[in-house]
Amino acid sequence: MKLHRFEYRITVLYLLIGGFWILASDKLLYILIKDGNTLSQFQTYKGWFYVLITAVFLFFFIKKHLNKRRKLENELKEFQVHLEKKVKRRTEELESVIKQQKETQVQLLHSEKMASLGILTAGVAHEINNPLNFIMGSYIGLLRHYQDNSFSDNPEQVRQLIEAMKIGIDRSSAIVQGLNQLSGESDTYDDQCDIHEILENSLTMLNSQIRPHITVSKDFSASELLIKGNVAHLHQVFFNILGNAIHSIESEGDITIKTEDKKSHVLIVITDTGVGISKENLKKITDPFFTTKAPGKGTGLGLSITYNIIKEHNGNIEFESQEGKGTTVSVMFEKPVKYE
Amino acid sequence: MNEKKKVIYVDDEEINVMLFEINFSVNFEVYTALNGIEGLELLDKHPDVKVVISDMKMPEMSGLEFVTKAKEKYPEKKFYILTGFEITKEIKNALKSGLIHKYFRKPFNMLEIEKAINEH
Repeated sequence: MKLHRFEYRITVLYLLIGGFWILASDKLLYILIKDGNTLSQFQTYKGWFYVLITAVFLFFFIKKHLNKRRKLENELKEFQVHLEKKVKRRTEELESVIKQQKETQVQLLHSEKMASLGILTAGVAHEINNPLNFIMGSYIGLLRHYQDNSFSDNPEQVRQLIEAMKIGIDRSSAIVQGLNQLSGESDTYDDQCDIHEILENSLTMLNSQIRPHITVSKDFSASELLIKGNVAHLHQVFFNILGNAIHSIESEGDITIKTEDKKSHVLIVITDTGVGISKENLKKITDPFFTTKAPGKGTGLGLSITYNIIKEHNGNIEFESQEGKGTTVSVMFEKPVKYE
Repeated sequence: MNEKKKVIYVDDEEINVMLFEINFSVNFEVYTALNGIEGLELLDKHPDVKVVISDMKMPEMSGLEFVTKAKEKYPEKKFYILTGFEITKEIKNALKSGLIHKYFRKPFNMLEIEKAINEH
């Protein structure tokens, strides 16, 4: 029905009704009134009457239309206000979600640290108790010798007791030194980092995790591997990678650590014969929060942190893995340019 | 003449073994091994040993694995663990089941161990 627009229809209707009115009313007046003067007077009345009727009609018509419009405008305005409020509320909600997420992230980073710390403390306690046992042994022996002259016929044993004490002290102090390096708070990247020392320290810290049927073999390059970097962060890198290798072995297996001194870079390859990583997961292992461990067992941040630290050192890390066969992690760092 | 009591000590750390030998040889007859397999051989060689003390963390065979195997063959002997670790679930279970008699912490307490050996 809406073939013609409203304004055309109303104009046509007005013309038709107006025309019909003029024609019909004129005809009627001609029939009813014969006197010319009276006729023209009545025609004036008729005109007034017409104008009045159309004015009233127009008034209501326009009013109705304008009301509709005004109502719509008001509704629109209300809707706009409502929308603005809604957007504001949603923005606030989103902001609070983002804030919450940031807090969770900080908490997770913290729990990752605490998880590593747990492994670390158990390892360190054991590693320190062992040399303390040496010191205790030599103390007891030397005390006995001092009080009862127990070993006077055997000076070699006395020498061994003294030697054991020295070894115990050296070993404890090496562990404490390793710990200090791991927990270093410095954020600079210009420490002299000895890769072999870092690997040895990380192994020491993880020693308590290395179960009896796990064999760790080292194939270190004959030359020292020195790079510039952050010594504490690099400890974290190898602590994480070696920790993963150890955890990947369910009952028995081997871990090999091979280091190579190349012309322009150093290469560290850590291979385990553990459970391996599926192709699908391999792509995601450095994603933050990706973990295959049960909820609460792992934060999924270890390798993500490792990856970031290596990138900060302009290094590179690559993973190769076969499910059921094991995983190889290769880490590469550029050698510092020597000024001679 | 009062014969010295015999004890077997197993630890992969040579210094621990050496110190144990020096200190405990004063009052006991000490036989030592650097791993569980050697420990089992020692048990076969010296059937009159009543007390066996073993470290926990050793390569190839853990202290508890060694004790489990040894206990199967020599259920009448008393086994002890001497370790630098805090007490673990494994050790607790071994204590509960009677696999080991007691658990000693490193650094060792001479009197505690001497008392334990003398009990048997």
